[in-house]
Amino acid sequence: MKIEDAAQKTQTYYCLDCGVCTGSCPVSRVSPSFSPRIMVEKALLGLGDELLKDRDLWSCLTCSRCFERCPSSIDFPEFMRLLREEAMKLGTQPAYSHHGMLQTIMELQTQGINQKKTDWAREAGKVAEKGDTFFFVGCMPYFQVIFRYLGVDSLSVSQNIIKILNSAGIEPVVSDDEHCCGHDMLWNGQVETFEKLASHNLEVIRASGAKRVVFNCPEGFYTFKRHYTEHFGDLGFEIVHFHDLVAQMLEEGSISVENSVGPITYHDPCRLGRMAKVYDGPRDILKKLAGDNFVEMERNRENAVCCGTSGWANCSTGSKQIQVERLKEAEATGAKTLITACQKCQIHLTCALSNLDMGLELKDLTSLLAESIK
Amino acid sequence: MTRELLDLMGISNERLALEWVSSAEGGRFAEIVTSFTQKIKDLGRNPLGVAA
Repeated sequence: MKIEDAAQKTQTYYCLDCGVCTGSCPVSRVSPSFSPRIMVEKALLGLGDELLKDRDLWSCLTCSRCFERCPSSIDFPEFMRLLREEAMKLGTQPAYSHHGMLQTIMELQTQGINQKKTDWAREAGKVAEKGDTFFFVGCMPYFQVIFRYLGVDSLSVSQNIIKILNSAGIEPVVSDDEHCCGHDMLWNGQVETFEKLASHNLEVIRASGAKRVVFNCPEGFYTFKRHYTEHFGDLGFEIVHFHDLVAQMLEEGSISVENSVGPITYHDPCRLGRMAKVYDGPRDILKKLAGDNFVEMERNRENAVCCGTSGWANCSTGSKQIQVERLKEAEATGAKTLITACQKCQIHLTCALSNLDMGLELKDLTSLLAESIK
Repeated sequence: MTRELLDLMGISNERLALEWVSSAEGGRFAEIVTSFTQKIKDLGRNPLGVAA
């Protein structure tokens, strides 16, 4: 897509030059040379080529804080994404984190490999090969291996989901053939790889006969909800977030929880909060688990701040600053535990926390829930 | 870690070898490379089918 078309699609022509975007941007706070407003201006002044070569094109966290506040509703994250597609064609690319290992895994998944990554699921409980409910696990089996050194136990989250679904009488489909949802490839400007991954996933899900797909990963959930439908039309199945399902189960009484959790606060993931507009589901669960012991951080819901890096690229000292600031904000609430609902947030904040002397614990919402079930 | 990741991807971890050989150990180097080459030949094509 040409820059003019990208500008058209994301309404950048409506820019009022007010600067709310740059004022809201967590990257601009720590790296003043980064400015969404100037990037939009450049595109409108026909300096787009300069933009495509700019390293800052990859520094945007695509966290959507600017879009949330923009008086002209300019979808700046989508504008960045479209420009990245062009930049990638010109041969520029981001600085991949973790030696590009995660991107390599995603690329390999498009090459017809036969993954063996569901043993943990059968250990956790009952899973099926075909059925109404498909549990889209996402990258957790890989995160489990790659981020073990941080002490992040990503797979236990997926195992807990199977246990909770089982206790409500649901035997979900879990598949070895499931690929990465393509979120990171899409935001890394590699739309062709995204489409390969996505069309394969759709085939696998349709072959399972599933009527609904359950997600815990906010990125998978949002990518299916928005980009899969944009690229492939009607998917033919329902997309459900696990927390919504849990809220429903609690309502129906198919599971019940103890209200015994000590002071906690909650970090909204960008994809789940601002982008998928799921703010209340996790909070309803937290209130059931902690009652008045659940306290909000100063910047919450649509004002929440990103966990500092996105798409496994361009992690910088600025990312660390954003993370440390966020952790201090959580500590200032008096909470002993910071709850996250995204394994990437968990990984990034755990990395930052490991270098700090702070009496704060990080925990995944699903894990907390599993511990509190009666 | 790489071995575990290869297993998850369904690419046998036997396809990866890591050995330390000093510059003075020419014989050992040749031995390792020869035996590993033979091992890969015995394992056959990898599931990706893209390696030359």
